[in-house]
Amino acid sequence: MTAAVERPLVRTAASRARTATTTGPSREGLVSWGFLAPFLVAFALFLVWPLVHGLYLSVTNQSLTGAGGSWVGLDNYREALTDPTMWRALRTTVWFTVVSTIPLVILALVMALLVHRGLPGQWLWRLSFFMPFLLASTVVSQIWVWIFNPDIGAANSVLGALGIEPIAWLQDPAVNLYAIVIATVWWTVGFNFLLYLAALQNIPDQLYEAAAIDGAGPWRRLTSITLPQLWPATILIVMLQVLASLKLFDQAYQMLIGVSTDTTRPIVQYIYESGFVGYRFGYSAAISYVFFALIVVVGVFQMTAMNRRRNLS
Amino acid sequence: MARRSTMLSRRGLLTGAAAIGGAAALSGGLSACGAAGAASAADPDQIQFWTLLSGGDGGTMADMVAKATGSGAAYDVKTTTLVWGEPYYTKLAMAATGGRPPELAIMHASRVPGYAPGGLLDTWDVGRLAELGVSQDDFPEEIWKKGMIGDKVFAVALDAHPTVLMFNPEICDKAGVLDSDGRLRKTESPEEFIDLVSQVGGQTKGTPPLSYGYLGDGSQMFRLFYTFYTQHGAAMTFPEGGKAEIDDDIAVESLQLMQRLLDGKLAVQRNDYAAALAEFATGRSGLLFTGVWELRSVKEAGVPFDMTAIPTLFGTPAAYADSHAFVLPHQNEVDEHRRDLTYRFVADLLKGSYEWATAGHVPAYLPVTQSPEYAKLTPQSHYADVAERVNYDPAAWFTGSASNFHSGFGNAIQPALMTGKGAPGAIDAFRARVDRLLKTQNPVDPDGTWKP
Amino acid sequence: MRSRQTRSPGEKGAGRVVAFVVLALMAVGWLMPFLWAVATAFKTETDAASESGWIGGDGLTTEAFREMLSNGNVWIWALNSLWTSLVITVLTVTISALAAYAFSRLRFPGRRWLFAVIVAAIIIPPQVLIIPLFYEMLTFDLIDTPWGLILPQIVAPAMVFILKQFFDGVPIELEDAARVDGAGRLRVFWSIVLPLSRPVMAAVAIFVFINAWNNFLWPFLVINDTNLMTLPTGLQTVIDAHGIQYAQTMAQAVLAALPLIVVFLFFQRQIVKGVATTGFGGR
Repeated sequence: MTAAVERPLVRTAASRARTATTTGPSREGLVSWGFLAPFLVAFALFLVWPLVHGLYLSVTNQSLTGAGGSWVGLDNYREALTDPTMWRALRTTVWFTVVSTIPLVILALVMALLVHRGLPGQWLWRLSFFMPFLLASTVVSQIWVWIFNPDIGAANSVLGALGIEPIAWLQDPAVNLYAIVIATVWWTVGFNFLLYLAALQNIPDQLYEAAAIDGAGPWRRLTSITLPQLWPATILIVMLQVLASLKLFDQAYQMLIGVSTDTTRPIVQYIYESGFVGYRFGYSAAISYVFFALIVVVGVFQMTAMNRRRNLS
Repeated sequence: MARRSTMLSRRGLLTGAAAIGGAAALSGGLSACGAAGAASAADPDQIQFWTLLSGGDGGTMADMVAKATGSGAAYDVKTTTLVWGEPYYTKLAMAATGGRPPELAIMHASRVPGYAPGGLLDTWDVGRLAELGVSQDDFPEEIWKKGMIGDKVFAVALDAHPTVLMFNPEICDKAGVLDSDGRLRKTESPEEFIDLVSQVGGQTKGTPPLSYGYLGDGSQMFRLFYTFYTQHGAAMTFPEGGKAEIDDDIAVESLQLMQRLLDGKLAVQRNDYAAALAEFATGRSGLLFTGVWELRSVKEAGVPFDMTAIPTLFGTPAAYADSHAFVLPHQNEVDEHRRDLTYRFVADLLKGSYEWATAGHVPAYLPVTQSPEYAKLTPQSHYADVAERVNYDPAAWFTGSASNFHSGFGNAIQPALMTGKGAPGAIDAFRARVDRLLKTQNPVDPDGTWKP
Repeated sequence: MRSRQTRSPGEKGAGRVVAFVVLALMAVGWLMPFLWAVATAFKTETDAASESGWIGGDGLTTEAFREMLSNGNVWIWALNSLWTSLVITVLTVTISALAAYAFSRLRFPGRRWLFAVIVAAIIIPPQVLIIPLFYEMLTFDLIDTPWGLILPQIVAPAMVFILKQFFDGVPIELEDAARVDGAGRLRVFWSIVLPLSRPVMAAVAIFVFINAWNNFLWPFLVINDTNLMTLPTGLQTVIDAHGIQYAQTMAQAVLAALPLIVVFLFFQRQIVKGVATTGFGGR
């Protein structure tokens, strides 16, 4: 990852210089469009057009059934911004992002640091931590719904063995969002773990050799070499994780079917519910754009933070 | 990239395999998809049938389908069971919108008014049904009419599943509230009913005699409330674009009766559905307000029980009910042969719906409920009369089983039930919610242009 | 990928043992939920529905698997998942690689501008597009068709970005030589650039395949016909008419997970590397 991210910035300039010396521009222009056409057609049809058309739908009363479609101006946005359910869904989404990102980054770091020590059984460690990431959300949800079953689930059996009262993990609105967090951490931490592992492998040996000569102990090496060297990776991982967590839908929807979801409904689920359960495509499109705005703001904020850091160093 | 050379061969294999597999999939796969898509086309006699029935109901339905398809029938049926409630109705609407839905589906009759206007359902051809021996005369009037919008038939009911009163004959007998036939003594006013309940309380060893669970379950609250409300002979109408027509005094009186029953002595004040059911099913309480669909689970629990219509306490016999009904999801291109088979299949299921009664539901098809066979079926025949007095959700696009209307009702009413206070305020809150919903156009027809 | 067993000379036995124990505990904790699912899948329904240990009172049985497989749906879904994921992978990699090559090697007006647009599009969450995309599929009459499932999934701007960065790093001299010999662009791309790019193509392909195999939201929306569903959506949507069968549910979960776990065991190194290089593409 670090390789892919850092290298190109230098190379693009170089390759551009090289391409400039190849054949004449007019024929090449034609060839270029030939190469680009398949992707661009798909890009236009399935990304650009929906993005634009969605904006149009958001100012109509379009229904799922194809009925409606009359212009309603900014009514949908006005309704969205005064809709307590939407705000609640946004708050839930942001809170989930906070409480999931922290363990997803810290645990991944701890796992990567431990595995990177070169203890025997490398493939087993990698398999254990990364395997859940390979599972479909449905599978993850089925496994955890089973574990969180209030009567016969493994989670309550474990608590029982420790002398703790059983918890209605998915039914109790006070805890069910955290049950989702637990399942999510289990599911996706492996991805961050691999990113950290790759970053660790890119730290030059010389740094450690120099430190060893200076007589630095393991703790010292960790705090003064490893962690600072991992900082760019950490920023990237946090950024990816925040964007991923904001898109929460699958596991929250799947694990809490049939449970009142007022306290756990993420914003993407509200988009789904307004559009497909409530048939209101126009309104749902408007909420989609509110969500999109949130993503862009977070994304731009993170990019700026990252660039500023890069400029400093 | 230092390892590239050593990994080339293995990766080459992988890429090659992917490319070959991909090419194979592109050619073979698409024809396979053609085959899968045409799996139904390949078998022109197969009907796709969606239901939301699982558990005991699902098993009974599977038996009925097997019986219908087994006897040298012209059709084959592939039944698909989807997750009950909102997920089911969402999928069904999406499938109908896409134009390639299953040939046949089961819906709650109360959901039809919200569904049909978007063009999501095709209409039933009454003539075609009549040829197969299914006509309006074969159904209780209220139940048949619930499937109609304007003069078109959108749904053909399989059953009515009303709210009823279960009782434990052993406990009730000891309490002396049974008549000589072993039926529950008739009560005709709230006071008489409360007397009866307290009399039963003498035999339940400290457990409140009446079980009723409602916490967090708006549907369960609405079922009992609406039973009492309609027993006043009052209507509740929700005119689109207008104001809810609710008789406040009657509504408050109905709610207050619920509050009086939930006093902690007659019935536990704060109980949920499962806990209340368990109270009765373990023989601790003597009476239970529930739906007919619990017949099988109570039977399996092994406790002595019988069932009866909820006593008429306000003059007019009435009970809240819904129906499972057959609908034809809208298809862009109707395969007439399959549609014909669908009609036959539905007719066969209706005629075989004696089996459905074993799950507790009251079959809608009168030739079944009027048969001598059915009259012998107990306790089913003890509440068959309820089919004549069913009251569905007030018709509106937002009402019906598994709808937000029910949970909204619950949110408005539950505090009053939990505290025993503030009935008028709760009714006001309910009315305010309905008025807000009435201001919104049906989202399947936002311009209000649909005509049946 | 180099391991650094040698780099901690100051570290003696005790530290290593502690690290090993901590790591082993975490690994066991992480494997446990899945192993528990596997254990449940090998129980009878009665054992599964009661609080039993790793092995139920009725002993091990493959009953749940047999029940599940005798129900035709699971096979159909697995086949659908496999072939649609393969088609998505082939199409995505092909169109992304062609476009990436153009951005890396060819000169044409608007190149920078267009590339910037595509990179910017990486940030667009697919969830934002579900409403208009569904509407578009309605318009094209592609709801409940395989193409409606596949086509919206083949646009991956992140993959274009990754592949372009890679092509930028491939030495151009080889290509120039071929071009002097009169080979056309497509030929150069096919016979020189692609062979050199196998590792990154494999990484991208694996990544796209995993995502397609596991994708839930879009297939969930566009497919209602149970004969066309993929595994994740079928398992979520369709239930057993007789109620929840825990052992069967877990057997299905295990079956759906199995192909990717096998792929992982065989191609662990490539996948690890693939995540590292394509990680930017996000989930």
